[in-house]
Amino acid sequence: MAATSRFAWALTVLVLAVAAGPVVAAEPLHEQIDRLIEAKLPSAPAPVADDAQFLRRVYLDLLGRIPSPEEARAFLADQSADKRARLIEQLLAAPEFPWRMAHVLDDWLMERRTAQGISRQQWLEYLRRAVEEGKPLNWLLGELLRADQNTPAEAAAFLLARGAEPNAVTRDVGRVVFGVDLQCAQCHDHPDIDDYTQDVYYGLFAFYTRTGLFTDRKTKKTFLTEKAEGEASYTSVFDSSIKKERVLPCPPGGKPLADPKLSKEELYLVPPAKGVQPVPRYSRRARLAQVIEEGSNLWFRRNVANRLWAMMMGRGLVHPVDYFHGDNPPSHPKLLDLLADYLLQNGFDLRDFLRQLALSRTYQRSSLPPKTLPAEMLAPELFAVGQLKPLRAEQLAWSVMEATGTSTTTREALRSRFLRDPKMRDIFQLDAKRAVLLDRMVQQELARRMDGNVKVFVREFAPPSGEPQDQFHATAGQALFMNNGNLIRAWLVPRSANLTGRLLKIKDTDKLAEELYLSVLTRRPDPGERQAVAEYLKGREKDRAAAIQEMAWALLCSVEFRFNH
Amino acid sequence: MKCRYACGSPEHALHRRKFLGALAGITGLGTVGFFTRPAVAKELQKRQKHMLVIYLAGGVSQLESWDPKPGTDTGGPFRAIPTSVPGVHISELLPHTAKQMHRMALVRSLNTKNSDHGMGHYQMTHGRNRGGLNVPHVGSLVNRLLHPQDCPLPGFIHVGRNGDIKDAGYLGPQYGSLGLPSGGPPAGIARPKGLSVEADLRRHGFLRKVNDHFLAQRRSAETEAYTYSYEQALRLMEQRHVFEVDREPEKLREAYGTHPFGRHCLLARRLIEHGVTYVQVNHTNYDTHHENFDFHIEQLGEFDRTFATLLEDLASRGLLEHTLVVVMSEFGRTPRINVRLGRDHWGRAWSVALAGCGIQHGAVVGKTNKNGTAVTEREVDHGHLFHTYLQALGLDSLGTVNVNGRELPVADPSREPIEELLA
Repeated sequence: MAATSRFAWALTVLVLAVAAGPVVAAEPLHEQIDRLIEAKLPSAPAPVADDAQFLRRVYLDLLGRIPSPEEARAFLADQSADKRARLIEQLLAAPEFPWRMAHVLDDWLMERRTAQGISRQQWLEYLRRAVEEGKPLNWLLGELLRADQNTPAEAAAFLLARGAEPNAVTRDVGRVVFGVDLQCAQCHDHPDIDDYTQDVYYGLFAFYTRTGLFTDRKTKKTFLTEKAEGEASYTSVFDSSIKKERVLPCPPGGKPLADPKLSKEELYLVPPAKGVQPVPRYSRRARLAQVIEEGSNLWFRRNVANRLWAMMMGRGLVHPVDYFHGDNPPSHPKLLDLLADYLLQNGFDLRDFLRQLALSRTYQRSSLPPKTLPAEMLAPELFAVGQLKPLRAEQLAWSVMEATGTSTTTREALRSRFLRDPKMRDIFQLDAKRAVLLDRMVQQELARRMDGNVKVFVREFAPPSGEPQDQFHATAGQALFMNNGNLIRAWLVPRSANLTGRLLKIKDTDKLAEELYLSVLTRRPDPGERQAVAEYLKGREKDRAAAIQEMAWALLCSVEFRFNH
Repeated sequence: MKCRYACGSPEHALHRRKFLGALAGITGLGTVGFFTRPAVAKELQKRQKHMLVIYLAGGVSQLESWDPKPGTDTGGPFRAIPTSVPGVHISELLPHTAKQMHRMALVRSLNTKNSDHGMGHYQMTHGRNRGGLNVPHVGSLVNRLLHPQDCPLPGFIHVGRNGDIKDAGYLGPQYGSLGLPSGGPPAGIARPKGLSVEADLRRHGFLRKVNDHFLAQRRSAETEAYTYSYEQALRLMEQRHVFEVDREPEKLREAYGTHPFGRHCLLARRLIEHGVTYVQVNHTNYDTHHENFDFHIEQLGEFDRTFATLLEDLASRGLLEHTLVVVMSEFGRTPRINVRLGRDHWGRAWSVALAGCGIQHGAVVGKTNKNGTAVTEREVDHGHLFHTYLQALGLDSLGTVNVNGRELPVADPSREPIEELLA
């Protein structure tokens, strides 16, 4: 059986490959992705996920929450063939998309660090605006690395959060921007990794050795500053004969970039003096930013592609994501280069890139492996089965609020409040752009109101700030929070339009089971589950509300809810 | 076909941590590899080892405690008294502890080259200087490596302080500390009003069914860790009594002392008795820039009787044999007495005390000069001590940990254990 299916699969791949051969240029990225992923599979992968699984997955990835039961019903009822592509379009255009992406970018770039003088709210707002306006990612990252008089104040957050300390900055620019963790190479060539040498480290370090902090004496505000002089040098801690007096600035994977020749008098636009922030004529920091903005550096492009791939697919083509080097090759080198080139050719457009990933069969694979799937096909680097991705703290908070009806009811109330004034209603209905404006206002106000709740989840579930945010931790403390905490308990108390309130009004147990599962797990229950709900309610006529609360609680605490699958 | 993660074998139950560790590479879960010495591993399964740190916050004076220098320009007003170990003298402020010296060992030659509180605390509990890698607190490390999976209580508890998930460093918050700031049961352990045990267990039953359905073919190290956290929470709720010191006989409570430090030490013993691997108790107010001598009479007066009772109690219950007890601070205090009769921060020649878990009885390692201003013999630092703790607990302190595929040394590779302390 297995042999036959393997043969059939090989044949399919072959036919697809031959068919795709001469028209590669016109082939959309998502099809190229699938071709390259499937070419490496020894047998047929898991099928494409059913509508419910896909719906939940794409909502969580692009909006950061599960769909409401109404949204779920509408999608499941839709019979058209292109409904998945239309849903992806709709989510990419939704006002919640930039809110979700701000957290994705923050996880990646800041790992929840905060910067002196720039509030977290300001920083997230800056990221949101960038996503909303469709700012190309190479510009955004370039702006963070440049952070001078010509960039918005919030752009300084990236460097300020690392104290503008050249070693801390070098480590994080290496990891976050180029995908290489050069930490060991600060003191000596990496003992195991040939690519991580002190030359590479100090080549990057040289861009930041002139950067420091400047505190304005009057306002006490701290700014980034840069000198026109200062060189990087090193000595190995293992062998003091291994040293270099002057290392030219050099981006990882790039060529050394010598400073322009300037006379002593030409060095500064604003020369350093007491209480004055100097401005150099030539900025090494800006030079590195320029490399990023040009987008031609392959290490940078691969890193961006890999980070976004990992966010959507649950694992990087290079894994871990900050561990690019010769002995840790990508699982699919051609695909990684294809994605990296695509980013450059398509202007580092976040929406466009995520659209292509979301459209791929690889993204849409079921997380439920068929019983006949050989065990080796489960290896995550094959991408033959949908990966389980634990929800980040914000995703979990918004999903619990959506499932319990907490945010849903507030969202609806806000919408009708904004539309109560007939004049306002007319304005919002003038055109599509203004309709979007209403959605944005509702989202903004909803996020403001729910912020306290989200913070509680962040405190309980997020990894510590300054640590990679793609780690998953399950602690007894978190379980106690779900078990005994006031927040969850209060949300499960029946109110007119919340989940338990709605369920309480449904007399038919089968319909009740359906509403419960659709609201919390975004799918309809199977016959066994319908029966389990009926059994749970049996003999509970007197405390039906408690029984409903207990079941809703159990679904919220389930593995199926805790993971994006 | 059965999913390869789905597993009901006894092998799985026995080596669950090892199992999770092995899967770490696949799933990206930040955990460490297995690095217990094979010969010791068998021993470990027989008898769990524990570590109890009494942390004298602020920096206890070595001259008023473990390394007195009476009659010198730096010695202060107190005498040295003999102890239960012939030839070993400690400060007269510790008369009860002196009678326990045959159970203890002293290191009198610590030079940690630091006089900053934060750095000192970090050094002594992490075995390295801060900076670079985010290494774990010793409590997190032993929590990860020694805490049995079937223990209903957490592996790392701070008594008299808040917990801190950052303690775990790169091991990840599940190995961080649980804090008991007021010395009572942990927050969130009590069921809310209106939720009976019966109702709670009923909904957990439903939860398990829901999970079994999903996990039948989709099990991973991460889903295991998640479902396990709920089982852990349930068991923890049943253990409320462990945190209730008042269940101890009144006579014993009085011997420990009814002040917070006495109650915290008694709680620590209860926790260790019930399987907690690492407990840290804080005793504060040792930062004596003013009135060093008055404060030490007061603080060590409280410490002395409690600590002596604790050692006696641990020994009589057979716990001391498997429990490494360490009395530490972030640093010592300056030999020079300042104009306010205080002593300032000093990391260049100071002492710690250890006991239990195979620590050499009555050993005194290292010496300072006549008036305690410099180490003259067997200079060691926090790095050496850290190796010693791990070795005493049966771990290979020269081994490495695997964090997401990266091999990192568990202890500072430029240091080694203090062999004279290890029996």
